[in-house]
Amino acid sequence: MLRSLYLALKNLFSKPQTIDYPLTPIPKDKEYRGLIEYSEEDCIYCLKCEKACPPGAILFAPTPNPSENEKNKKGLEYNYNPYLCIYCGECVRACPKPEEALWQSNKKQEVALKEQEVNEKWFALEKKHQAFYQAKRESKS
Amino acid sequence: MSKKTINIPLGSQHISLLEPVRFKFECENETIVGVDSDVGFVHRGVERACTTKFKYDAIGYVVARICGLCAITHSLSYTVAIEKLMDAQVNSKIQYLRTLLLELDRIHSHMLCLSHTAESAGFEAMFMRIMGDREDIMEIQELLTGNRIQFDYISIGGVNRDIDSQRAKEITLRLRELEKKIYGYIEEFENNWSLSLKYKGIGRLSLDEAYKFNAIGPLARASGLAIDVRNEIDYLPYKEIGFEMQLHTDGDIHARNSVRLAEILNSIAMCRNILEGLPDGDIFTKIKGKPTGEVLVRYEAPRGELMYYVKGNKTAMLDRVRIKTPTFASIPAFSHIFMGENYADAPAILASFDPCLSCTAK
Repeated sequence: MLRSLYLALKNLFSKPQTIDYPLTPIPKDKEYRGLIEYSEEDCIYCLKCEKACPPGAILFAPTPNPSENEKNKKGLEYNYNPYLCIYCGECVRACPKPEEALWQSNKKQEVALKEQEVNEKWFALEKKHQAFYQAKRESKS
Repeated sequence: MSKKTINIPLGSQHISLLEPVRFKFECENETIVGVDSDVGFVHRGVERACTTKFKYDAIGYVVARICGLCAITHSLSYTVAIEKLMDAQVNSKIQYLRTLLLELDRIHSHMLCLSHTAESAGFEAMFMRIMGDREDIMEIQELLTGNRIQFDYISIGGVNRDIDSQRAKEITLRLRELEKKIYGYIEEFENNWSLSLKYKGIGRLSLDEAYKFNAIGPLARASGLAIDVRNEIDYLPYKEIGFEMQLHTDGDIHARNSVRLAEILNSIAMCRNILEGLPDGDIFTKIKGKPTGEVLVRYEAPRGELMYYVKGNKTAMLDRVRIKTPTFASIPAFSHIFMGENYADAPAILASFDPCLSCTAK
């Protein structure tokens, strides 16, 4: 009884366990698994990351004005959906040039707004990607 | 007095529930005389998705999302099943690191259960205290894996991150602090008079009943039934790191809490042993080929035995992934315990089972 009274009084004057969130940022580990980052210059367009990604958050879709990277023979463009990404890092492990072409940062993604239409844009991209490979398969057969 | 009974539902939305489950109690005055349960509110079709939508190497991440609390047990069970199908061996460092995370996961899951049992018994301050201290474990997990809940730490053939000596030191230090706090909880759960009113002799399951209703996990061990998958399997080095089965004989809510607290202490000791004697080696071995044949893998999740059945057919898509979760297996025992208890005790009894409905409904 006396002990619990002592603890109650101690708790009254001790520091709170929570942090003053919007004013004090949440302490974050420096090796926190965050966004996947990409460098176009070093990419060799092997598409291994696209195949390894469990939720399909990386898409190499055809683009009308492809980059000048000589490895990019099919005229593709790297697309990354941070809202679909599960931050597992499988793409970085699959990449033949990790830390140069593809790496995992400790940055957090901002919350998406409705006006940005992240889903609609991504679905359109997925359709384009599917149509590209469908046409390729048909031309082969 | 008439024998008329009334039906009182608990759930699917209820203040004491973490996840949707519905119990329909048939009550005679305050006493429960009949129980009906429905657990399928969070069905997501994971098993079907595993065989139609995802290739075998991505399923480890899919099954981890079945449940936030035993994510690691799900992905580990699946990964070990695939490794067995592909005849692959992993070195002892990988096994030790996997066991480390499995035990950390057990600690935080048990702490969550203890806090909710305290809350359902009306002890809000204890709930806050345990949940506050549980942050330590979450931070340790973030140090180890890079994330608090969805670890994505285990991949087929190894683990995704190595641990350096500085991190190991910090984790040991934090675990030592946590151990002191756990002794504080044990004192509180043993000696607090108001908690003993809500826990001692309530929701009792005898040894015979535990055997008859096929209880598993802490629910069975609290009744004295010596059943623990960690004692039976050989694909993780539990015998080397000092696993001890924790048993109690009373079978009531207090016994279940005691078993959980003792298991937390045992898990902390095991984590310390792992960190002290971590062998050298690579954290990843490349595995080639496609899964073929069928395999059955069992693991001890925080709530009891988790079973995975995987069937492969030499292609990237699997034939079948069957998951049997601990809560599902314990439902007959749950329903039996409610019989003859007071309706007012139902939330505390339910919390003491530590039911995981997102696992059960998948």
